[in-house]
Amino acid sequence: MTDSTESPDLQRRSGLRRLKEGTYGGLFAACAAATLLTTVAIFVTLLSDAVVFFQEIPIAEFLTGTNWSPNPAGGGQAFGIIPLLIGTLVVTITAAVIALPVGTLTAIYLSEYATPNARSILKPLLEILAGIPTVVYGYFALVYITPALKATLFPEMSTFNALSASIMVGIMTIPMVSSISEDAMSAVPDELRQAGYGLGATKFEVSTGIVVPASVSGIASSYILAVSRAIGETMIVVVAMGAQARMPAVREAAFGIPYINPADILLESGMTITVAMVQIAGGDLTGGTIPYDSMFALGLTLFVVTLVMNVLSDIIAERYREEY
Amino acid sequence: MATDNATGGGFGEVSRLRGIAFEYLSLGASVAGLVALGVLLVYVAIDAFDLANASPEWLLTYFLTLVVPFLGFCLYSAGDPAITRRALGALGGGLVAVAALFTAIEAFVVDIPRLSWQLAYLFVVVAPVTGYLTYVGSRGRVGAVGFGLLGRLVGGVAVGLAVGTLFLVFDELVWFLAYTLGVLPAAGLYAYGRWRDADRAASAALPVGLVGVVAAVFLRGVIATYPSDLIIYLWTLAVPIAAVGALVVAGRGSRTAAAAAGGVPLAVATATGFLAGGLGVPGPTALIVLAVTGVPTAVYVHRVIDGGEGVVGLGLPLLIAAGVIAGALVVEAWGVPAPDPWLDVSYVTEAPSRTPEEAGLYPAIVGSVIIIALVAVLSFVLGVGTSIFLEEYTAGSGLVGSLTRLLQVNIANLAAIPSVVYGLLGLGLFANLLGLGFGTAVTASLTLSLLILPITIISAQEAIRSVPDDLRRGSDAMGATRWQTTKNVVLPEAFPGILTGTILALGRAIGETAPLIMIGAATTVFSAPSSLFNRFSAMPMQIYAWAGFPQAEFRYGVVAAGVITLLIILIGMNGTAILLRNRAERGN
Repeated sequence: MTDSTESPDLQRRSGLRRLKEGTYGGLFAACAAATLLTTVAIFVTLLSDAVVFFQEIPIAEFLTGTNWSPNPAGGGQAFGIIPLLIGTLVVTITAAVIALPVGTLTAIYLSEYATPNARSILKPLLEILAGIPTVVYGYFALVYITPALKATLFPEMSTFNALSASIMVGIMTIPMVSSISEDAMSAVPDELRQAGYGLGATKFEVSTGIVVPASVSGIASSYILAVSRAIGETMIVVVAMGAQARMPAVREAAFGIPYINPADILLESGMTITVAMVQIAGGDLTGGTIPYDSMFALGLTLFVVTLVMNVLSDIIAERYREEY
Repeated sequence: MATDNATGGGFGEVSRLRGIAFEYLSLGASVAGLVALGVLLVYVAIDAFDLANASPEWLLTYFLTLVVPFLGFCLYSAGDPAITRRALGALGGGLVAVAALFTAIEAFVVDIPRLSWQLAYLFVVVAPVTGYLTYVGSRGRVGAVGFGLLGRLVGGVAVGLAVGTLFLVFDELVWFLAYTLGVLPAAGLYAYGRWRDADRAASAALPVGLVGVVAAVFLRGVIATYPSDLIIYLWTLAVPIAAVGALVVAGRGSRTAAAAAGGVPLAVATATGFLAGGLGVPGPTALIVLAVTGVPTAVYVHRVIDGGEGVVGLGLPLLIAAGVIAGALVVEAWGVPAPDPWLDVSYVTEAPSRTPEEAGLYPAIVGSVIIIALVAVLSFVLGVGTSIFLEEYTAGSGLVGSLTRLLQVNIANLAAIPSVVYGLLGLGLFANLLGLGFGTAVTASLTLSLLILPITIISAQEAIRSVPDDLRRGSDAMGATRWQTTKNVVLPEAFPGILTGTILALGRAIGETAPLIMIGAATTVFSAPSSLFNRFSAMPMQIYAWAGFPQAEFRYGVVAAGVITLLIILIGMNGTAILLRNRAERGN
């Protein structure tokens, strides 16, 4: 430290010194402000173009329309988000069916059963699942999962389908569930476990009957975060799910009760909100057209949904947390 | 509860079956995702290296010339008979088990496509055993030296190639002027200031450097004649390295050694420059690779020989090189049918093509390197600045406190926004509103910097928070101002952690595709970019484009090679980050 040779400035009166201090403080504050500006910029960018879009297409038509064709060959554009919502919902639910149970069990194993050694190996390995680029997952789904499923379980599956994409999204989100849930489970104090054992409970009963209920707020918030990640997932579905915005066929069961066969959605190509955005971006980007603006309307939808889920997860984690 | 069925006076019987079943179920769930990923990675590796067409003789040749000596080295380094027995047992027992199991499955259950029992053995037994032995071996003194040398060689080449790539887009003449007018005087002033304890000189270094760089940019348009490229690179790269080497050695006393430390690198660099020019390798890249590989390697070898411990380990790179050459000779001499891998030298040095055999990834790799370099600078500066502000400059209560909490919540929310939305931000703000262009490196790196900013900030905050408060208070007590405490105490302590977090975040950025599509990055470009405002491609973009090709050669060959390239780079980055973290933890 070169300043040690000078006489100490106990009152901090030196003008230059204070200017220097202030400058650095200001620079760091500016950096911090940049993060706030990013949020504002995202919101304004999305909103300004979305507003233009909603002047052309009424919000009601956007939210209730059942046809999505932004650039049809013969003319007659339609911007109904329902088919995209169905596609997104299918991928999210299927992925959740894989990621939530697997992730929770993983968290229980890591927090209750694993030896410290096994935990120190498994935890970083699980993080790898979240670190693989999503375009690689999409490629895996298209080139390995789909042919494997076609050869074994579903011969009538189409090349681009929702199922293999969802499986990959599920695998990708496992570590999100497991790491946050495990944190919550590890935070459960040991006294509770010991009390359980004292009452004669087995390890299984302590794990499922005491630790899981005690950490349920953390588990729930991890679920919400994982689901919100699955909703915003783009490249896996773009590569593996194809790009056909369709409404599923409504069939009739006995006595004319309408139903939808899940296979009609899962084994066929579909389109999510994110795929629709990427598809338009592949066409024109210079701005000023309705499809261009519709991207921002979709982005705004996505932004709002993920923001709400994130805030919700925060509230659940905070409000319903057991205090020890 | 299970104890309810307690009978009479004694303790009850509790069924252990349910508990054990649950334990194994949860263990199975923990590894399910990893196993799935492992199988997929094995298949993509088989496709990328065309191992499905590798003859058993070919596999055996390289197993004997490359893998066995390497394992022997690791076992020698570990020097533990128990480990040796266990490893040999696993290799031998695994051979029998995998061969029997594989044949049985093929015969009775289902035909496993594109996999032979030899390959299965390689991936299921040899690969984990090699990984384990590498870990065990690297903990021995000999192994530590060997892997240290290998890491410096490989890492040096990788960093050298990456830095050399940057010179493709930056004007080397501006660099020449900026170096001569800005960097050199600034470094001189700073060194003089430190040497003579002249505070003024040291603090003048930064302004002088900035003025010099600005002057260089201005003069670039004025001056018309420049020395040749080779002289520029010798002057700006080889001379400073030689000078620093000479100074460091001279500091230890010996004048002849100092002359050697200065003169040898300079002579070698000059020779390399001429040779590389003759061979068609770009001179600057060759020079930079030589510098960042040669100097640390030479220092390391010198240190090891001086220390006298584990000197045998220095032979590891030779062992591997000899194994590769011997394998190639055997394959050549006996005409063993060899596979034709998609991922080879021409794949990473050639441009994309319509014919799968000629397709290459070179322009996309260059694009990725340049984007990542810019993202690294931007997100590091912004991320560290923000985390310093949040950790060191704010109060816990009052107006500033609530502002801090707002910032904190905002950062957490930014981390959860889907990457495709960041792409829209880049498209609407940077590309269209600010006019930085569609799919240019500038737009891409601004967008990706904002995307990984929350991750960088959160990890940097953790690193800063882990600096013990005693150190801060100690510095305060000596009359240091907040900035002095931050600069002299907090940042040096937290630096390894910050660096680790930043590298991990960059790993996320290098694989991002969706934002690049949204800002209009090119799916395929046929030549490496020459300016920051050219239209770019990046590795994941190229993989995305090729995955859509209908030909099987692209789907199963070319894309697999791209995926492996991307994953190798990712593993390299994350491995470096983890090494840094471990080293910092050991240091504490």
